[in-house]
Amino acid sequence: MLKIVIPTMLLAPLMWFSKPSMIWINPSVHSLLISLIVLFTLNRPTNTDLIFSLAFFTDPLSSPLLILTAWLLPLMIMASQSHLTHEPLIRKKLYILMLISLQSFLIMTFSATELIMFYILFEATLIPTLIIITRWGNQAERLNAGLYFLFYTLVGSLPLLVALIYIQKSTGSLNFIISLYQSPNLSMSWTNDILWLACMMAFMVKMPLYGLHLWLPKAHVEAPIAGSMVLAAILLKLGGYGMIRISTFLHPITCNMAYPFIMLSLWGMIMTSSICLRQTDLKSLIAYSSVSHMALVIVAIMIQTPWSFMGATALMIAHGLTSSMLFCLANTNYERIHSRTMTLARGLQSILPLMATWWVLATLTNLALPPSINLIGELFIIMASFTWSNITIILTGLNMLITALYSLYMLIMTQRGKFTYHTLNISPSFTRENTLMFLHIFPLIILSTNPTIILGQLY
Amino acid sequence: MNMFSSLMLTSLVTLSFPIFLTMTNYYKHINYPNYVKISIICALSLCMVPTLMFINSNYELIISNWHWMTIQTFTLSMSFKLDYFSMLFMPVALFVTWSIMEFSMWYMHSDPFINRFFKYLLLFLITMMILVTSNNLFQLFIGWEGVGIMSFLLIGWWYGRTDANTADLQAILYNRIGDIGFVLAMAWFLLNSNSWEFQQLFMMDVSLFPLLGLLLAATGKSAQFGLHPWLPSAMEGPTPVSALLHSSTMVVAGVFLLIRFYPLMEHNKIIQTLTLCLGAITTLFTAICALTQNDIKKIIAFSTSSQLGLMMVTIGINQPHLAFLHICTHAFFKAMLFMCSGSIIHNLNDEQDIRKMGGLFKALPFTSSSLIIGSLALTGTPFLTGFYSKDLIIESANTSYTNAWALTITLLATSLTAVYSTRIIFYVLMGRPRFSTLTSINENNPQLLNSIKRLLIGSIIAGFILSYNIPPMNIPVLTMPTYLKLTALLVTILGFVIAMELNSMTLYLKTKMYSNTSKFSTLLGYFPTIVHRFNPHLNLVMSQKFSSTLLDLVWLEKSIPKLTTNLHSTASTMTSNQKGLIKLYFLSFLTSTLLATMIVFYFHA
Amino acid sequence: MNPLTSSAIYFTLFSGTMITLFSSHWLLTWVGLEMSMLAIIPILINKGNPRSTEAACKYFLIQATASMILMMGTMINFMDSGQWTLSNPYNQISSFMFTIALSMKMGLAPFHLWVPEVTQGIPLKSGLIMLTWQKIAPISIVYQIAPSMNPTLMLLMGTLSVMLGGWGGLNQTQLRKIMAYSSIAHMGWMMAIVTYNPTLTMFNLVIYIMLTINMFMLLLFYKKTSTLSLSNMWNKFPLLTPTILIVLMSLGGLPPLTGFTPKWIILKELISNNNIIFSSLMATLALLNLYFYTRLIYSTSLTLFPSFNNTKMKWQFENMKLTPFLPTLIITSALSLPLMPLFSLLN
Repeated sequence: MLKIVIPTMLLAPLMWFSKPSMIWINPSVHSLLISLIVLFTLNRPTNTDLIFSLAFFTDPLSSPLLILTAWLLPLMIMASQSHLTHEPLIRKKLYILMLISLQSFLIMTFSATELIMFYILFEATLIPTLIIITRWGNQAERLNAGLYFLFYTLVGSLPLLVALIYIQKSTGSLNFIISLYQSPNLSMSWTNDILWLACMMAFMVKMPLYGLHLWLPKAHVEAPIAGSMVLAAILLKLGGYGMIRISTFLHPITCNMAYPFIMLSLWGMIMTSSICLRQTDLKSLIAYSSVSHMALVIVAIMIQTPWSFMGATALMIAHGLTSSMLFCLANTNYERIHSRTMTLARGLQSILPLMATWWVLATLTNLALPPSINLIGELFIIMASFTWSNITIILTGLNMLITALYSLYMLIMTQRGKFTYHTLNISPSFTRENTLMFLHIFPLIILSTNPTIILGQLY
Repeated sequence: MNMFSSLMLTSLVTLSFPIFLTMTNYYKHINYPNYVKISIICALSLCMVPTLMFINSNYELIISNWHWMTIQTFTLSMSFKLDYFSMLFMPVALFVTWSIMEFSMWYMHSDPFINRFFKYLLLFLITMMILVTSNNLFQLFIGWEGVGIMSFLLIGWWYGRTDANTADLQAILYNRIGDIGFVLAMAWFLLNSNSWEFQQLFMMDVSLFPLLGLLLAATGKSAQFGLHPWLPSAMEGPTPVSALLHSSTMVVAGVFLLIRFYPLMEHNKIIQTLTLCLGAITTLFTAICALTQNDIKKIIAFSTSSQLGLMMVTIGINQPHLAFLHICTHAFFKAMLFMCSGSIIHNLNDEQDIRKMGGLFKALPFTSSSLIIGSLALTGTPFLTGFYSKDLIIESANTSYTNAWALTITLLATSLTAVYSTRIIFYVLMGRPRFSTLTSINENNPQLLNSIKRLLIGSIIAGFILSYNIPPMNIPVLTMPTYLKLTALLVTILGFVIAMELNSMTLYLKTKMYSNTSKFSTLLGYFPTIVHRFNPHLNLVMSQKFSSTLLDLVWLEKSIPKLTTNLHSTASTMTSNQKGLIKLYFLSFLTSTLLATMIVFYFHA
Repeated sequence: MNPLTSSAIYFTLFSGTMITLFSSHWLLTWVGLEMSMLAIIPILINKGNPRSTEAACKYFLIQATASMILMMGTMINFMDSGQWTLSNPYNQISSFMFTIALSMKMGLAPFHLWVPEVTQGIPLKSGLIMLTWQKIAPISIVYQIAPSMNPTLMLLMGTLSVMLGGWGGLNQTQLRKIMAYSSIAHMGWMMAIVTYNPTLTMFNLVIYIMLTINMFMLLLFYKKTSTLSLSNMWNKFPLLTPTILIVLMSLGGLPPLTGFTPKWIILKELISNNNIIFSSLMATLALLNLYFYTRLIYSTSLTLFPSFNNTKMKWQFENMKLTPFLPTLIITSALSLPLMPLFSLLN
C-alpha cells in the first residue's frame, strides 16, 4: 500500500519543484506510472483479500475503484491544462496540489480497513474538491454550488459519524474484514431503523439519491473540468462503495428499509433522465445522467443479491470512465465555443471529425451498447431488480429507452447538423485531448473483454 | 466434414478483416471500398461450402469457443449456432450485401467519406451475422443492439440534414422500445432457467411473459404496427442503406428472432394469435399507407413493412420455416427494388417524387425491367422468387382454421401489394416523362449494372433454387380446393387490374377535394400525428414542466435547501438581534438563571 | 501605553490566571479571577475610544456580577461544609451558583450575550486575550468541580451554546463578532462534555486556543476586522488565502484537520454515555459554524474580489512580517489529527 500512497504524496514535491514548463507533464507521467502499480491489486494469488497492514487492505470490490482512482489522476491533470493557461504559476501549482491531495485521500479511502478511518478520509476529500469547485469554477454560481456540495454531504454524513461511534460502542469493532464474520444481526426495532438511516444517508447523499441530488448538477456544472471528472468518476462511487461496505453492519434491517429507497430511486431514475431530455446545458445533461445511472446503483445495492452487487460494482466503474469522458468532451467543446449551451455548438463533426468519433464512442457506452461494461452493469442490475419484482422492468426498461434517447440527443445536438458561423474559427483538437479521450475509452474496451475483474467481491 | 466450423469461422473473420484495416493507411486508400467488396465475396464463397454441406447432409452444429465469463453458476461464452436458419441466411445476406456494396460504390462515389460509409455498412453486416449465428441470448443482444446503432449511424449519414437526424433518432427510439421487451425476455429466462443458451431455453416450458417480451422486441425491430413509423422515416438515409438495412437484413431481425424462438412459440396459442393479429394489422395498414405515397422510396419502405407483417402472419399460423423462406426470397427482390429506385433517383438528380418521373422505360431500360421483375416478384407472380414463399404462405393461411378476420385482412393486403406495385410501375416507367429535360440519364456503369443484374437473376431463380434444395421442415398443404389454391393469384391479378384501371383513369383527373379515405392513407393513417407526435410531445412537456421545473427546481429546492436557509436565517435574526443594552443582558441572565434553577431542581427531584 | 504600565498590567493579568490555576483555596481562586478581570480592563480600553470604553464597562459589570455570584456560592459552600478547599461542593445550591457564575464568566449560552458586543468594541489584540486567555481561569475551575455539576444542565447549556453560537454567527459580517460567536459555540462543546470527561474539555480548550490564536494572528497582522476588508486582501497578502482557509476549516471541525479531533472525541464520549440525541444535535449544529466560516473562506480564499489595476501588484511591495510562530501554528492547527494517539497522554 505504501508503494501506492507514498509515490502519490511525493507527486506534490515533484510537481512543486519542477520547472514551470514541466509542471503538467511531470505529475501526469508519474501518476500514470503509479496507476500501473495499482494494477497489481488485481492479482490475488491466494484468492483472499490483500491485507497490507492494520489500516489498509483491498479486496475485489475496492481494487477496481482504486485502479479507477489512480487512473483518473493523470487524466485530470491532462484535461485541466488548457483551462489554467492564463493562471499564474503558483496557482497552477496549487491546483495540481489539490488534485494530488484529493488523489491520496481517495486512495486511502478506498483501501481503509476501519470504517471510522474511511469516514474521516471520505470527509477529507471534501476540502480539496470544494477548493477545486469554488476556486477554479467559471461562474459566480460556483459559490452556491460549493455550498450545496459541502453542506449536503456534511448534513448527510454527520449522523453517520454518530452512528459509527454508536456501532463501535455496541459491537466493539468497525473493521470491514471482521465485520463479515461477526454479523451483529440487529433486531428489527424502531431505533435500529434510525441507525440504518443514519448510516445510509451519508452515502445516499453522496450517490446521490433522487431528492437529495440537487447539489450534484450544480457542482458538476460549475466545477472546472478536473472537478467534474473526479466528482462523476470517483466521488459518487464513494457513496456506492460505502453503501456496499456498511450494509454488512446493518444486516437484516436493509431488507425492510430498502423498499422506500428502491422506489424513490426507480422513480428518480425516470425523473432525472427525463430532465436530461430537456436540458440545453451540456454539462448539466451529463450531470443528470449521472444521477440517473447512480439511481440504478442504489437500487442494486438495496436489493442485496450477488447479481445486484456485481451489477452495481460494474456500473460504478463503467459509469466512472464514461461520464468522466463525457465531461472531458464537454470541456473540449467549452474551451472552443466558450459556452455550455448545446445549440451553440452544433455540427462540430464537420470541423473536428476525430472528436466526433470520441463523442460517438462515449455516447454509445453511455447508453450501454453491448458488450460494453456499462451494459454488463445495467443488465445485471435490471436482472436483479426483475428478480426482486417483475414490475420494475417497466421502469428500468423505460429508463433504458430514455437513456438512449438523451445520449443520442446530446450527440446529435453537438455533433450533427449544420455548424454555426461562430464555430468557424476554432482551434483543432490537440493531441493531448485525443490522448485523453483514448485513455478513457481504452480501459472501457479492454475491460469488456474480461469484465469479471470489476464485478466485485461476490463474483 | 471437419471443415464445416472452421470454414464458417474463417468466413466471419474474413468479413471483419477490413475493419482492422481501419488502423492502417489502407483505410485512406481509394480502393478501400473494393477491399470491402472483395472480403464479402471471399466470405460468401467460404460460407457457401458449409451451406452446401448443410443442404447435402442436413448437418447442424454449435461452435462454442471463447469463454467470456462465469458468474457463479451462470456461464457466458461466445458460441455460434449453425443450424437451418443461420446456414441459409448467411449466404443470402452476404450475396445481397455484395451487390449492395458494389451498387454503393457507384451510388456514393462522390462522397468524401465513402470509406467510412463502407466500413459502417460492413460493421452493420457483421452485427447482423452475429445476430443470426449467435447461440445465446447475450450474443444475440450484441448483434441486436449493434444493428440498431449501425442503423442510427447510417440513417444519419448525411448529418447536416435535420430530417436525417430526426429519422435516426426515431429509429433508435422505436428500436429501444422493442429492446425493453428483449431485456424482459432475457431477465425472465435468466430468472427461470439460469441460462441464456438456446438449447436450454428451448427445452423450457415457458409462460406467456417472455414471449410477449420477444414479440415486443420483434415489433420494434421489424416495424410492426404501433412501432412502425421509423421505417419510412429511415428512408432519409442513403439508398444503399435503405437497401441493406431496411429491406433485406436489419428489419427482418425481429421476425428472425421470433423464428429463432419457434420451439417456444409453437406451443403457445395466445402468443400465436397475438402475432397473427399484429402481423395482419401491420400488413394491411402499411399496404394502405403505401397506396398514396408519392416518394418512391417510401412506397418501397411501406411495402417492406407490409411484407414484414406477412412474415409475422406466417409465424402466427405456426409456419416459422415458411416465414424464414420468405425472409430469404424477400431479401433478393426488395434489395433490388431499392437499388433500382436508387438508380432512378440518382439519374434524375435526387428526385424521389414519382409524380415527377414517368416514361423512364425508354431512358433506363435495364433498371425499368428490373423494377418490373422485382415488383412482379414482390406480388408473387408464379415462378418468380416471391412466388415460392408468398404463395405457400397464402395457401397455408387459407387452409388454416385460425382467426378468419386476420386471414381476410392478409388477403386484402396481398391484393394491395399488387396495387401499389402497379402504381410505381405506372407512374415511374409508363406514360410521358415529367422530369426536367436537362437531366442526363444513363445506366452504363458496370458497377450499377452488375449489381442489379446479379440480384435480378436472384429475384428470378433464387426462390426456385432455395425451395428446391432446402431440407423440408414444414408439411406443405397437400390438398385443397382449386379456388383456394388460386386465391393468392386471383387477388393479386385483381389488384393489378383495378390499379391499372384506376391509374389510367385518374392520371389526368383533377381532384378537387381529397376524400377521407385518401387522407387516411396519405397521412399514414393519422398515426404520425396521433401517436408519433403526441406521445413524445407529452413526454417532453412532462419532463420539462413536471420533473424539471416543478420537482427539481421548485419542490426539491424549496423543501430542502431553501427551507433550511429560511429556518436558520429566521432563527439567526431572532437570537442574535442585540440592542447592546446591558440591562437587557442582565434581564436575560436573570431569566436564564431562573429557568436553569427550575431545570436543576426538576431533574434533581 | 507606557511600557512600564503595560508590563505591569500584563503581569497582573498573567499572575491572576496563574493564581486561579494553582490555588486550592476558594478565596485565592476568586482573587485570581478578580485580578485578571481588573487587569484586562485597561487592555480593553487601550485605544480610549467610546466603543472600547463601553465594551470595557460591560465586561466589568458582567464579570463583577459573575464574581459576586461565585463568591456567594463559595460562602454557601463554606457555610455548608466549613471549608474553603476547592473541591467538589456537596451543596447543590452552591454548585449551581458556581455553574451560573462560571458560565457568565466564560460566556456560555444563555449567558453569552455580552461576548459579541464586548469583542466587537475592543481592539483585535485585546479580543484575542479575552477570547483565549480569559477562558483558561474559569474553565480550570469548572474542571475541578466538574463532577458536582448537573449533567443535564451542562449538556443543555452546551447544546444551547452550540446552537446560539451558530445562529448568531450567521448574521454577522464583522470578524470579531464572528470569532466571538465561534468562541461561544466552542464553549458549548467544552461544557457539554465537562461532566463526563473534564480532560476532554481541557483538550478542546487547547485546540480551540491554538486555532483562535492562529486566526487572530492572521487578522492582527493585516488589521482586518470585517469580511469586506478580508476580501480585498488576495492581492496584498497571497499567503493569507490558503492559510485562512485551512485555519477556518479546522476551526469548523472538518476532518481530517485538527479541529475535528476534539469534536470526534467529544461525540464519542457523549455516545458512550448514551447521549445519542444530543450528540447528533450538536454535530449537526456545528455545521452552522462551518457555514459562516465558509463564507469567510469564500471572501478571502476562493474568490478574487474585484480590485483596481494599480492595486493588483500590491503583493510585491508589502513586506512580510509574519512571526516565526505562525507557520508552526498553522501546521499544528491543520495537521495534528494523525497525532491523536499522543493526546492520550493528557489522561
